[in-house]
Amino acid sequence: MLKKIVSLLLLTAMLLGCLSAAQAESAPGFAVPEGGYDGSEVTITFYHTMGSNLTAVLDTYIAEFNELYPNIHIEYTSVGNYDDVRDQVSTEITVGTQPNIAYCYPDHVALYNLAQVVATLDNLIASQETVTRADGTTEILGLTDEQKADFIEGYYNEGMQFGDGLMYTMPLSKSTEVLYYNKTFFDENGLTVPTTWEEMEAVCAKIKEIDPNSIPLGYDSEANWFITMCEQYGSPYTSATGDHFLFNNEQNRAFVKMFREWYQKGYLTTQTLYGAYTSGLFVSTTETKSYMSIGSSAGATYQRPAANADGTYPFEVGIATIPQVSEDNRKVISQGPSVCIFEKENPQEVVASWLFVKFLTTNVNFQAEFSMASGYVPVLKSVSDNEVYAAFLDSADGGDYISALSAKVCLEQEDAYYTSPAFNGSSTARDQVGMLLAKCLTADDGGDVDAMIERAFQDAVDECEYSF
Amino acid sequence: MVDSKHQWKAWIYLAPAIALLLVFTVWPIINTVRMAFLENYSGLKAAGGQAFAFGLGNFTKVIEYRRFVSCLKNTVLLCVWTVPISTVLALLIAVSLNAIRPLQRTLQTIFFLPYVTNSIAIGMVFAAMFNIVGSFYGTENEIVVTAGIINNIIEFFGGEPVNWINYGSTYTANLTVMIVYIVWNALPFKILVLLGGLQSINKQYYEAARVDGTPRWRVLTRITVPLLSPMLAYVIITSFIDGFKEYTSIVGIFGENMGPPDDAGRLNTMVGFIYDSLSTNSQGRASAAALILFAIILVVTLVNLRISKKRVHY
Amino acid sequence: MSKETIVPMRARDMRRQSLHQKAGRAVYLLAVYAFLLLMAAIVLFPFYWMLISSLKTLEEYRMSTPTFWPQRIMLGNYVTAFTTANLGRLFLNTMIVGVVSTLLSLVITILTAFAFARLEFKGKELLFAALLATMMIPGELFTITNYSTVTTLGWRNTYTVLIVPFLVSVFYIYLLRQNFLQIPNELYLAAKVDGTSDLKYLWKVMIPLSLPTLISITILKMMGAWNSYIWPRLVANDEAHRMITNGLRNAFTETTGDVNYPVQMAAVALVSAPLFLVFIFLRKYIMSGVSRSGIKG
Repeated sequence: MLKKIVSLLLLTAMLLGCLSAAQAESAPGFAVPEGGYDGSEVTITFYHTMGSNLTAVLDTYIAEFNELYPNIHIEYTSVGNYDDVRDQVSTEITVGTQPNIAYCYPDHVALYNLAQVVATLDNLIASQETVTRADGTTEILGLTDEQKADFIEGYYNEGMQFGDGLMYTMPLSKSTEVLYYNKTFFDENGLTVPTTWEEMEAVCAKIKEIDPNSIPLGYDSEANWFITMCEQYGSPYTSATGDHFLFNNEQNRAFVKMFREWYQKGYLTTQTLYGAYTSGLFVSTTETKSYMSIGSSAGATYQRPAANADGTYPFEVGIATIPQVSEDNRKVISQGPSVCIFEKENPQEVVASWLFVKFLTTNVNFQAEFSMASGYVPVLKSVSDNEVYAAFLDSADGGDYISALSAKVCLEQEDAYYTSPAFNGSSTARDQVGMLLAKCLTADDGGDVDAMIERAFQDAVDECEYSF
Repeated sequence: MVDSKHQWKAWIYLAPAIALLLVFTVWPIINTVRMAFLENYSGLKAAGGQAFAFGLGNFTKVIEYRRFVSCLKNTVLLCVWTVPISTVLALLIAVSLNAIRPLQRTLQTIFFLPYVTNSIAIGMVFAAMFNIVGSFYGTENEIVVTAGIINNIIEFFGGEPVNWINYGSTYTANLTVMIVYIVWNALPFKILVLLGGLQSINKQYYEAARVDGTPRWRVLTRITVPLLSPMLAYVIITSFIDGFKEYTSIVGIFGENMGPPDDAGRLNTMVGFIYDSLSTNSQGRASAAALILFAIILVVTLVNLRISKKRVHY
Repeated sequence: MSKETIVPMRARDMRRQSLHQKAGRAVYLLAVYAFLLLMAAIVLFPFYWMLISSLKTLEEYRMSTPTFWPQRIMLGNYVTAFTTANLGRLFLNTMIVGVVSTLLSLVITILTAFAFARLEFKGKELLFAALLATMMIPGELFTITNYSTVTTLGWRNTYTVLIVPFLVSVFYIYLLRQNFLQIPNELYLAAKVDGTSDLKYLWKVMIPLSLPTLISITILKMMGAWNSYIWPRLVANDEAHRMITNGLRNAFTETTGDVNYPVQMAAVALVSAPLFLVFIFLRKYIMSGVSRSGIKG
């Protein structure tokens, strides 16, 4: 009996597979219904993490979208932080009540993919179906070549990091890590901003001479640091296919050992080691100081010292690309929310969701306004030409308009963005390498550094393998 | 057959509770057991249509975890330390509150305040109190920006500052902080319950004791404690159960690392392990760990109940 | 007592004794106050911290060295808190859920605890042990199953889903049963002889005698409604049913995932205030308790 049912199911599955394959010679995954969006009434739920200042921006553009598509109703919910969205969505998936669209990081999508509920976007992007809008104009359902080319490549490619070459997410707004430095101090002492790690070591040594009681460099996130170094050295970190956890290799152990030596010389610290925000150390004017700080580009306002009573700042902040191993292989991490669309019984919901996602990610005005409100950077190159945004960028300085300065630096390094492979277990790997670095910088080596580091790497791999 | 009529009545009293428990507690428990015996069960994979083999794989996987013994040890140690300390302290505070006149109202209000204090605030305070801000401990470059309030107090009294929770800290120091924090957290609830219990004790017992001139210590051990024994039994048994489920307090102090930066996971507990498994969507493994924990708590509670049966006076 | 109390004492001895007693009492009281004040200071500290945090600027909050008094008092945080989140609606939802679930929960708890404390039925011990056992499984494991149950029942985004699943608390049943057990059985038997019904006895005798415990349960349950977060977010996160903790968390989270803690603390302080007032009001009842009921041990 059971066998019969199983074979029947298999047969149906095969038939369905043939059918969808026959429909068009398209990529596997979500199949675009004939005629694209048919104008039917659909309600689209959208989970995000926006605070009230951003939902205000979103509201404006939902209204604009509804002028084009009055029958697509967007209901959004602010769910908390990114992890909250992940937990909420993965619980809802188990009973099939997941939203239509959600803010996501690649790790989340890898998790949702266990249930195979994330709609792939390849066929939607490629679709040439014409959709008629309420104002009488038309657009094609997919992305035009110009639209595709307008995305900053590193951001766009993040949607394809899942090992099967398919596109699962669209970038919404992005951030990265940048090097904040105390420009006033650098100018006074004739220091140049380090562009490589070699120069970084020299600058740290000099700062330590000038101000022995300082910690020259603070780095926010150990995990980002480790992963970025792997990328910059071109050494393996993880892989979405085959053996996943590849980070235990000689090159990686070597740079960890090098940073341990820096740490012991008193050159740098990190958020967990310092025991408080490293930005707090950087903006401090009274206690122990740091003169450089590597942190999120979206957190620029945290890296600015509190203003004096007359509105001036105790020192000017400069922002630069983070140091590199080699100028020929520049790498900076790409962070910030993307959006994914979930499969639904009614394919019209998926198509409608896509239209909305497309609207948000390709609308220059939305991208400009959202970026200015959030401190993130737009994902489209042409946003820099937007009048308002260009004026915003022009205002960039190391004081009142520090967010603009940060955005400017981000936009100038658009060729350097990388993303890591995403698979079920990639978030564990991220956590583990972060803890690994913190441990290796500080742990008592018992007389044999290499043995301690090797042991720590092995433990981290073991933990990854276990929870995988 | 008065008895059977009584039975019938008792079940009517119990009906609402039992009905709700069946739906929202018993059924989930059955489901937990099911998931525990399905190898590598994951809710998301199940939603994706994957089938799972029946077996003990989840249990062996849990026991094979390299930190399993350490999780168990942390759980038991925290329990064994915090339950007696918090119970005795709460009893002393409740009895003291009951014995004074001036300031009684104010103090009662103060001891209630933690209830209206947001848990985020509480976590932040404790972290700030024990946290050393600085770097390079034990090297010539050592920098300490703040040693933390607790260390300031220790230094004020001429003691040596302790590295409580930062890197390089000892397991004993970590554990001490956790004990202080958990006891602090447990106090208000226990005080409330015990104070409620004290109010139910008939004043005549005390009057009789006063006439006899019985020393206060004896009044406490011979009258108060026995008469309060049902409440004490309640407080002790439930706090053992809670103690075995300790997790959030550790996150409050150490963050998701569950340990100092150079030894993440050092203070992880059984429930912490369950959370880790849930966050990677390994419900099968989480369920297996929960059943193991359940078996342990069950044994402890049965022992507790047996002891309390002998000691509690109704 | 020793023999000395039997032998009549001379006046001087008696005076000395009473002086001695007075001194002893003073020292005792002093010790009690010292102890209580010390503990109170420790207990008060986080509350104080919450208040001063709510008055700090974000910059000051993020400083490496925590300050014990805000450098600049930001009463504006309270204004922001009040205007950013839809506090009125959140408050109303929380009140509805809190009050209804507390009332229903009290009824169920009283009935169940009474059955376990006073009625005789087969399997009582076993059932009670089983009840206790349910407390021992970490509740997080129940979430997924319960979520699928309430979805099947069609309860999502209703008040029902926020109230019903947590009406039964074994903790409270157990607590109240302990209290009921303390009430002398003779009273119950006497009432039986008088022909008083169980319900009437429960209402007239048991409940008044257990008032402090019932009020404790009320407070705990209300606090539960106030602080519940994960379940409401999962099942009823729409504007019409959202509860206070969810609303507060969402309102002050910035895009970077950072929380504007000072404003959040201000909001928390704002919503805690009514609860605090309720406690001050109810404290009288907790304390007056049983002494007035005139039951002889």
